[in-house]
Amino acid sequence: MKILVTVKQVAAVDDDFEIRTDGRDVDPDFLIHDLNEWDNFSLEEAMKIKEAAGGEVEVVVVSVGPESVDEELRKCLAKGADRAIRVWDDSVEGSDPIAIARIIAAVAKNEAPDMLFAGVQASDHSYAATGIATASFLGWPHAAVVSLLNYTPGSKMATLQRELEGGTYAEVELECPAVLTIQLGINVPRYASLRGIKQAAAKPIDVLTPSALGLAATDVGEAGSLSRVRRMYVPAKGQAELIEGTPAEQVARLVKIIQEFKGV
Amino acid sequence: MDVALLGPAVSDQKEVTRILFEGFAPSTIEFFYLLGLSAIGIFCWGFYVQIRKYRRGASAGSWNELWSRARQMAQLVLSHRTIARRDRGAGIAHRFIFYGFLVLFIGTATITVEYDGTSRFFGYKFWYGDFYLWFSLAMDLAGLSLLSGMLYMMYRRKWMKLPKLDYKRVDRQPGDADYDRSFYRREDWAFLWTMIFIGVTGFVLEAVRLVWLGSDPHVWNYRWWSPVGALLAQVMASTGLSAEGAGLLRTNLWWFHGLLALTFISLIPFTKVKHIFTATGSLMFRDPLAAQRLPKVDLTGEKIGYNTITDFTWKHLLNLDACTKCGRCQEACPANAVGAPLSPRDVILSLREFANNALQSNALPDEVKLNVHGKGVGQVFMETLWSCRTCMACVEICPVAIEHVPIIVQLRRKLVEEGEMDPLLQKTLQTIHKTGNSFGESKRKRATWTKALDFPVKDARTDPVDLMWFVGDYASFDPRNQKVTQGFARLLHNTGIDFGILYEDEMNAGNDVRRVGEEGLYELLAENNIASLNKSTFKSIVTTDPHSFNTIKNEYPDFGGKYEIEHYTTVVKRLMDQGRIKLDHLLNYRVTYHDPCHLGRFNKGFDAPREILKTLGCELVEMARNRDNSFCCGAGGGRIWIPDPVGTEKPSQNRMREACAIEGLQVFVVACPKDLTMFEDALKTSGYEGKFVVRELIELIEEALTTVTEEEAVAV
Ligand code: SF4
Ligand code: SF4
Repeated sequence: MKILVTVKQVAAVDDDFEIRTDGRDVDPDFLIHDLNEWDNFSLEEAMKIKEAAGGEVEVVVVSVGPESVDEELRKCLAKGADRAIRVWDDSVEGSDPIAIARIIAAVAKNEAPDMLFAGVQASDHSYAATGIATASFLGWPHAAVVSLLNYTPGSKMATLQRELEGGTYAEVELECPAVLTIQLGINVPRYASLRGIKQAAAKPIDVLTPSALGLAATDVGEAGSLSRVRRMYVPAKGQAELIEGTPAEQVARLVKIIQEFKGV
Repeated sequence: MDVALLGPAVSDQKEVTRILFEGFAPSTIEFFYLLGLSAIGIFCWGFYVQIRKYRRGASAGSWNELWSRARQMAQLVLSHRTIARRDRGAGIAHRFIFYGFLVLFIGTATITVEYDGTSRFFGYKFWYGDFYLWFSLAMDLAGLSLLSGMLYMMYRRKWMKLPKLDYKRVDRQPGDADYDRSFYRREDWAFLWTMIFIGVTGFVLEAVRLVWLGSDPHVWNYRWWSPVGALLAQVMASTGLSAEGAGLLRTNLWWFHGLLALTFISLIPFTKVKHIFTATGSLMFRDPLAAQRLPKVDLTGEKIGYNTITDFTWKHLLNLDACTKCGRCQEACPANAVGAPLSPRDVILSLREFANNALQSNALPDEVKLNVHGKGVGQVFMETLWSCRTCMACVEICPVAIEHVPIIVQLRRKLVEEGEMDPLLQKTLQTIHKTGNSFGESKRKRATWTKALDFPVKDARTDPVDLMWFVGDYASFDPRNQKVTQGFARLLHNTGIDFGILYEDEMNAGNDVRRVGEEGLYELLAENNIASLNKSTFKSIVTTDPHSFNTIKNEYPDFGGKYEIEHYTTVVKRLMDQGRIKLDHLLNYRVTYHDPCHLGRFNKGFDAPREILKTLGCELVEMARNRDNSFCCGAGGGRIWIPDPVGTEKPSQNRMREACAIEGLQVFVVACPKDLTMFEDALKTSGYEGKFVVRELIELIEEALTTVTEEEAVAV
């Protein structure tokens, strides 16, 4: 019995930051990295199943990214994941969520887990696409925004609750293996002490390349993506103006502004 | 003393002595010996069980410098310095008991040495004549001393109604099995009455012997050498007690007194009386930096912190048994004062009870039964541990050198490992891990405060400096404290000091992270800071933050960072003494001063801030709790990152109430960034706003340096 948990190292920007010279991302000098918040919850959900089952469940975390991602993987290992897989080589640079999903699906085919958990979305790019795209590559049943899960390892079905808009919920039953994207608040994630993180250095992190997973160069990177970031920018701040004067003057000014916007 | 008053002195009369077992048949004496040996046997067994209990704990490296430790311990025990602190009555009474007991013990031992030693084996006697008479007098006075001490202790318990002698627990509810702990009260009284009975029967025994042997001039003529006995004998004789009747009484009383004394001896290891050994042992292994320098642990090991009672070091197990329940720690504890479910004494006592249950049996119970965390009888609640502010008030006042703070932090280390903590605290720790500061600000913003200065602050990473300024989180990021930080920078700059800072390479110093119990994170912070400091060139370090000061001074050396560091108050005081800081005018404020725990109690920095205030022309009015008894603002031990329960008084508000009692108080002076934050907030929330203001000492210094108009000066 195995649960695969996908995790991502996300970036947060400083208050004052600069855009990279190519204009397509934030200058990495201004980024602070952390584990995606949602992933704390999906890992915790896997750990809860593992602990309730009493040891027969293997929890494997997988991430796509450069060496710095090991830091986040070690946090997951410190929280109790059994092993970690990281996929990377330079060809992966520029991948969009679809290409990333293709990589994860390849890992999932190798690992053959009984369940795959992903976070609903990543806090930096907020695509909310990787998990579901992975399900589509695998051809597995899937459920997004899971806020309650009832699953016993080994069983064919899982029942769960999905959070919908406007405070409604849907109760769903689906066949396993399945891909679930896990919502915040589904559980209380545990704390990984620094000591635990340090000790987790002894646990294995397998580093794989896309080609080792049987992916072609055209499957990953910009070649394997359906979208690319053209430009990253900070929108110009909105302007506000307090219109003063008599009512007549105010109306005159207002009309002028409207005409300016219409481009008359 | 006029010896003649006591009766004729003799030089060398062998008959002037007391014949042991006088009039007893040899079989009776043998029977008594049998009893005596059994009592000693039980004592030894009990002693062994205790030692075995301590040996079941983990090792502790405190066996070095045994001789100087023993000397210090003897000094403390003989002077009773720690027992008399903040409780003169108890100090005096305990001296009476202690010295009375000591003399009686030495006396009894002397008789044994003669009777069963020198006399039995070598036929050499010395317990007669002058020696005997002086001996009798000393024993009588010792008995009197012991009794009066005991009587005072009874009075204390019965009539003084001291809250600190109430053994009811603050972390349990009425009805809980271990709530009122009346067994301690019963034990106290049993002990007091036993000692009183032993003492009184001793005197009466002395008296009836005098009446019984009244016709023997070697006894009667020297009776005043045992003044109490003689007085009683006089009374007995006057009531018509015959020698024969006295003889009969003597036999009965002799057995009563003897059996009581033997029972007492045999029970020492099983009752509170064992503090004779445990307290001295605890003092012997006293660590003067117990709270200032927390124990370093091996992070690669299997376990961390205290989870089971066997994780405790033998020294901490001995500490548990040394507690005399005096309640001084509870009285000093700020968490206790505001009604938090924490009494340092109760933590110690409940762990003691736990250890006694678990570790005194022949076989060790299962690992699970040894877990000290939980809600069961004798276990320590998580809420209790998180209530502690690691302010060291308990450690500082404990007369028997119990190490509450390291024990509590060791227990917390386990909680942190399990993630059993307030979610906000968890967030803060993650933030510190991520950004290196508790504000969650990016590293690059650490020195933003320097931008407001009209001179550049040297980058000590690239330029050698005389003085390395370790700024600390609060002084760097908190907007209110930044003003103070800028003030100190101006002060250093204008005095012509060559100083610099580490800019974004400085991290949270880790003092509070360590006291939370996140040892892994602490090591990371300490190692990073030490690496940055080691890359720079400087002569000494200064900081305005007492927390950073403490950990750099006392704890960094354990990680290879040995520096000379001073709190700014020391530096400023010296500059003033050297005449390098010249005041523009005196301040004439009526002020009070709050000793920050980490500067005062932790590192004895009591005087420099007070002398600076004096130099500034302020009139210092002390609060009742000052210097070593200063009352924690409540921010220590990571509590600044954990919200206080709503609806109850916070320690800082309690402190404001205390300050407000000072008539005409104008300024409440602090010398710590966290204090400034805590007290400015408490001043508002406790409703004393407008009565006085809270100021950092640096702000007062700056004010005295600046030329101002009259009106501005009163507008503080
Ligand atoms: S350190 Fe301070 S808060 Fe903690 S138990 Fe001791 S006195 Fe109380
Ligand atoms: S721990 Fe120390 S101060 Fe507290 S009650 Fe025990 S002996 Fe007294």
